[in-house]
Amino acid sequence: MPDSMSTSSTYDVIIVGSGAGGGMAAYNLTKAGAKCLMLEAGGWYDAAKDSKWLEWQYNAPHRGGGDYTSPMNYFLAADGGWQVPGEPYLNARGTDWMWFRARMLGGRTNSWGRISLRNGPYDFKPYDRYGNGFNWPIGYEDLAPYYDRTEELIGVFGSKEGLENLPDGKFLPPPAPRCYELLLQQASRKLHIPCIPSRLAVLTRPLNGRPECHYVSQCGRACRMGSNFSSPVVLLLPARETGNLEIRTGAMAREILTGPDGRATGVSYIDKKTRKEVQVHGKVVVLAASSCETARLLLNSRSSRFPDGLANSSGMVGKYLMDTVMSTVSGFLPKLMDLPPHNCDGVGGMHLYMPWWGYQESVRRTLPFSRGYHIEISGSRQGMPMPGVLSGTQKLVGGGYGESLKENCRKLYGSFVTLSGRGEMIPNENSYCEVDNNVVDQWGIPVLKFHFQWGEQELRMARHMQETFQEIIHTAGGEVVQSYGAEQRWGISEGGQGIHEVGGVRMGDNPKDSVLNAHCQAWDCKNLFVADGAPFVGLANKNPTLTILAMAWRTSDYIADQVKKGNV
Amino acid sequence: MEKKSSGSGVRLERRNILKLMATLPAAALAPVTPFASSVAMAMPQEAGAQNDAAVYQPKVFHPHELRTIRILSDMILPADERSCSASEAGVPEFIDGWLHVKQGNLLDEIRGGLTWLDMASNRSFQFDFADCSIQRQKQILDRIAYPEKAAPEDASAVVFFNSLRDLVVSGFFTSRQGIRDLPYVGNQPQQQWTGCPPQVRAKLGLVDS
Ligand SMILES: Cc1cc2nc3c(=O)[nH]c(=O)nc-3n(C[C@H](O)[C@H](O)[C@H](O)COP(=O)(O)OP(=O)(O)OC[C@H]3O[C@@H](n4cnc5c(N)ncnc54)[C@H](O)[C@@H]3O)c2cc1C
Repeated sequence: MPDSMSTSSTYDVIIVGSGAGGGMAAYNLTKAGAKCLMLEAGGWYDAAKDSKWLEWQYNAPHRGGGDYTSPMNYFLAADGGWQVPGEPYLNARGTDWMWFRARMLGGRTNSWGRISLRNGPYDFKPYDRYGNGFNWPIGYEDLAPYYDRTEELIGVFGSKEGLENLPDGKFLPPPAPRCYELLLQQASRKLHIPCIPSRLAVLTRPLNGRPECHYVSQCGRACRMGSNFSSPVVLLLPARETGNLEIRTGAMAREILTGPDGRATGVSYIDKKTRKEVQVHGKVVVLAASSCETARLLLNSRSSRFPDGLANSSGMVGKYLMDTVMSTVSGFLPKLMDLPPHNCDGVGGMHLYMPWWGYQESVRRTLPFSRGYHIEISGSRQGMPMPGVLSGTQKLVGGGYGESLKENCRKLYGSFVTLSGRGEMIPNENSYCEVDNNVVDQWGIPVLKFHFQWGEQELRMARHMQETFQEIIHTAGGEVVQSYGAEQRWGISEGGQGIHEVGGVRMGDNPKDSVLNAHCQAWDCKNLFVADGAPFVGLANKNPTLTILAMAWRTSDYIADQVKKGNV
Repeated sequence: MEKKSSGSGVRLERRNILKLMATLPAAALAPVTPFASSVAMAMPQEAGAQNDAAVYQPKVFHPHELRTIRILSDMILPADERSCSASEAGVPEFIDGWLHVKQGNLLDEIRGGLTWLDMASNRSFQFDFADCSIQRQKQILDRIAYPEKAAPEDASAVVFFNSLRDLVVSGFFTSRQGIRDLPYVGNQPQQQWTGCPPQVRAKLGLVDS
């Protein structure tokens, strides 16, 4: 066996990563007739067999509880989590970046929350509207047809509302609200905060051969029935059926190979089983390894021609990293105590949510921050009780133990709600990742070092969240159980904790300050494209994955078109 | 999917909660029935006697610690007419396993708390906690089980007991026996979803919209 081997055949397209972006690229490019090779660092995953659907927590190790890091994440369909063994990353002094990685076929689309919101017109042109941040080189109208197609393919429920900067989509009917959601809706309406059906990629009607949801609130475990969106079920299965897709798992891409003319010729990866380098060749390379991994791949693709990494003549690779601003308040609603027993599971996420309502105020500058946030709500009666259930009861009942505690637990069960903000971050220069050559992962690949800082805007937004959520809880007749003040920085999340990290390989109109053009094609390397969240120029308060999917579709259309025209 | 929340800041308003709790009648609970769903019954069950105290090999606790944890578990959640005690539901084993894998200093906190308990009971009664009479055990727990009434010098033991109580409550209500004690009627695949039922809406005073 040679130390380095290369496969002789040349593929039309090599796609790195099998998550939302990679899956969508494979779906479209294989349908367009391209022979595609997909490299996936993780192992094979088949939700129909591997999902922990319907398993009781008492049969799971440690009752299935804990955080997202194995071995405590028994139920969550994510190989990896906040730490991946043997694949460290570094934080600069003063940074506490949290990086969630799922190393498996489908990436994080197996376990994601399925919240699927369109960016609106303002979200693509924030500089025009707020005078800060950056405009995207595309507008809502460019992506609208791709949002339509994506929703029709993956299935998203929701309701037509006609709200400002919240475009309605091609929706399946939304599921009826849960009781605690109705209570919160009643309260938010009193405060003139809209509370509408949420928009999730979960089937409330059969679609394209996939059955309707079974309403056991376990989307995070991956759906054994294929009733919610994941890349392997909805994108990779049909892509493989074309006969045009080869998938290699356990293939950790290391760098993009380039020829003497500076064009990409293929990808070098480490085969995790043999720990040997393999080189594969393709006419086009599409990166979709998740935003930061994609930046890392480019930075690690160094040559005498590209000493700072591939496609990095602007020096922008790794820059303007973003994440969602989160802050949370939980409350106790006495009305929810002691309700008649009823099934409160539903889909694996909220049925109602509160979209941002302050667009006019931010234009009038009557808010202490620009941009906005939406509110995600949850209640303790939803889903199977897990470790942590009824924790902190002493805060409500003054402590105790014995029979009275047991009886109090029964009364308190299901009476807690949580409001959690998802806010828009303004990209800043202090938030970026770079490669540190002094440290490598177990595959010998230099790792990322993160720098991240929230700005004053984000902190003021977190404060506004704290104040608003407490008001909603009080208006609903409740008591605040957990909240955060100034000394806790208003409970603002750590960078990356929102698991919405985007940017780092941004698109733009000008090769001097962007890496990609308006079609996510590298300025410096014509046959290299990016199809994950890395091209994002801003991060709206909308969860990013629907936009990643729509952009990946648009990018694949462009690739197919350019190949046909002989341009790449 | 709820994401991990950060920080530990806690501010609590307890205006009328205690009063309100006292006026509530005993919880109106679901009848204790065997799990109905045939689908759920068909799911794989983990083999092994997780709850079999006789053969349990502790992962972190010494025998004396485990014995104390058993006593404390049952003092925190004793058997009543509705459900079994915490130790019968495998809570001590759950706690031992949890502390084995949980990162951070929770194990030190619990272990240190057990040491405090023995120290306090030896100082007062010249016996380890586990060897005291139930009255004396209660006397000691009463010092640390009511955070707002506790003496300042017992503050760290109060923190320990809050954590232990949460562990016992968590362990009990996620056990096979404990979950049937709660009015949880989910994990049953549904043909269709109808939302908040009319009788609950009525109780909450929600008019149909
Ligand atoms: C618990 C949770 C809840 C979430 N909820 C939501 C939500 O409600 N709404 C929303 O919009 N988003 C949500 N997200 C975020 C969402 O999952 C991501 O935005 C989305 O999956 C990103 O897609 P991606 O293709 O960029 O990356 P991923 O889905 O992460 O896929 C990247 C893939 O590339 C592979 N890879 C990485 N490096 C390499 C390499 N060097 N070589 C080969 N392969 C590589 C990885 O193993 C992985 O399979 C959530 C995420 C989590 C974890």
